[in-house]
Amino acid sequence: MQTITIALSKGRIFKETLPLLAHADIIPLDDPESSRKLILDTNQEHIKLVIIRATDVPTYVQYGAADIGVAGKDVLLEHGGQGLYEPIDLGIAKCKLMTAGPMDAEINYFEQGKKIRVATKFVNVAKRFYAEKGVQAEVIKLYGSMELAPIVNLADRIVDVVDTGNTLKANGLKPMEHIADISSRLVVNKASMKMKHDEMHHLIKKISEAV
Amino acid sequence: MLKKDRWLLPEGVREIMSPEARAIEMSRRKILDMYHGCGYDLVQPPFIDFYDSLLTGMGHDLELMTFTLTDQLSGKLLGIRSDMTPQVSRIDAHYIKDHHPSRLCYLGEVLQSRLDDFSQSRCPLQAGAEIYGHDGIESDIEIIQLMIKTIRAVGVDSLTLDLGHVGIFRCLSEQAELSDFDREQLFEAFQRKAITEIKAFLAQLNLAQEYQDAFINLVNLHGSIDILAKAREQLNYPDIIKHIDLLEQAANKLQQLTPNVKLFFDLSELRGFNYHTGIVFSAYIEGHGQAIAQGGRYDGIGEKFGRARSATGFSTDLAHLVEITGFHQNSQDWEQLKAIFAPAVDEGNESLCLAIEKLRAEGERVICELKGQTVDYDKMNCNRRLVCKNKVWLVESI
Repeated sequence: MQTITIALSKGRIFKETLPLLAHADIIPLDDPESSRKLILDTNQEHIKLVIIRATDVPTYVQYGAADIGVAGKDVLLEHGGQGLYEPIDLGIAKCKLMTAGPMDAEINYFEQGKKIRVATKFVNVAKRFYAEKGVQAEVIKLYGSMELAPIVNLADRIVDVVDTGNTLKANGLKPMEHIADISSRLVVNKASMKMKHDEMHHLIKKISEAV
Repeated sequence: MLKKDRWLLPEGVREIMSPEARAIEMSRRKILDMYHGCGYDLVQPPFIDFYDSLLTGMGHDLELMTFTLTDQLSGKLLGIRSDMTPQVSRIDAHYIKDHHPSRLCYLGEVLQSRLDDFSQSRCPLQAGAEIYGHDGIESDIEIIQLMIKTIRAVGVDSLTLDLGHVGIFRCLSEQAELSDFDREQLFEAFQRKAITEIKAFLAQLNLAQEYQDAFINLVNLHGSIDILAKAREQLNYPDIIKHIDLLEQAANKLQQLTPNVKLFFDLSELRGFNYHTGIVFSAYIEGHGQAIAQGGRYDGIGEKFGRARSATGFSTDLAHLVEITGFHQNSQDWEQLKAIFAPAVDEGNESLCLAIEKLRAEGERVICELKGQTVDYDKMNCNRRLVCKNKVWLVESI
């Protein structure tokens, strides 16, 4: 049996992926929340899980360090998704990618030619979105706590994933424009799909049954 | 530039040292000799060329990959080649007036403005071969065999060959009367096999159910040779059946000719869709997440240069191929760098000169002492030395 490595990120994606893996009879032997291990063994000897940051999942899979992985569409949009297959929409970890701004902001607020500042970790997505709208945006890359940026006047808008909208509200912001619906996708390395086809095919089939 | 930054190299650029550099060079010689033996004429297209001719026939694929500069003499835009295939096609179209099939090969550095997914390099050492003027499965097979031989020459034995045919997607798009814009959107989703997106996109186009089903079936048609039979059932259009027949013929021949190569079929593989017209192929090896060599048929590229000829070819990055196949684990490469240390040659010491020249002629590496130097055999990578015993120069191990 050829070894198969599955890349997952901790937290919501991991929890919601477990039942899907269970349907393919893959059960991790450790819990990543309590274990410090980065590579988890499963009940099947040839299948390993690697636990990495969500934004690193496409990179691991693209280079073949993992054969298969679960990544949010937000991360894939930002990464570009090139060099990967994304055969299944798992329908988990659903949320929306949106722009947000202060409570009193209006969508058509910008005067022609005025530049706005946008704080986000989704730099590419934000640039594309505003360029399409014909709005000149200066994009500021942040790694977290985006909601703070408009409050301290670092930015006029933020681009971030929005689930309930409670964090925005608590910080005096409101969701504004909808950029994309987000859910997690199964991503597969191109070479693994070709070289380990039987195992991959079986795994993809099992997981898609459970979706 | 700050002193501490002087050691930095531009992104995707590296310095290669021995024994790796030596291993690359030996592979280069071996491969060129092999192409020569197979009847391929070596061509050396220029490193810089007019920007427009560098891109001819390759669609938009090379536009962003090509570095440009302005020619001070003509005021025209020049480019540094990022792929030698269009240049080689031009050579065939322009200089070779004959109607016989021509076989050309090339090996040289190309420069790419963006990092290549495969090697993370911006200056691959591109090696490749092309056959012009033959429209048939035989030339595709010959090129595929040559590609396999090239990979094997670098020391890889087990590999998987991925076969596809871009004509299938093209036919289906024409049958379904997709606009260029829609086809590009669909193509992009096909590259990622993003079935959910493909389904949503097709539904939104209001395409007849027959074509929606056909596209969805196509994206799932990848696997062992069995999928060809499945493809015949699911994509029953005369033109597509012709392409599938061709693939099957190729597969059968390849199974006979290269029984140790694992075959994989992927009918929705659309790499190089903008210029390929027929069978496309790529090679994969264990433990490497990307294709290591690729090629396909691209009839009609010569038309842009005034002479339409059928064409098929492949290329690979030789430097990267040597790198990933683990030259450094090959103790032979290290062994070849071991030298014999010879004492400094004094005037009138002809017998020593002759002994050194004789060893060198036999392919040995002989390092001569420089007067006044310190001698550390390890640092100089010497495992033997030349000593004089009874007026005879002998090699003894250290």
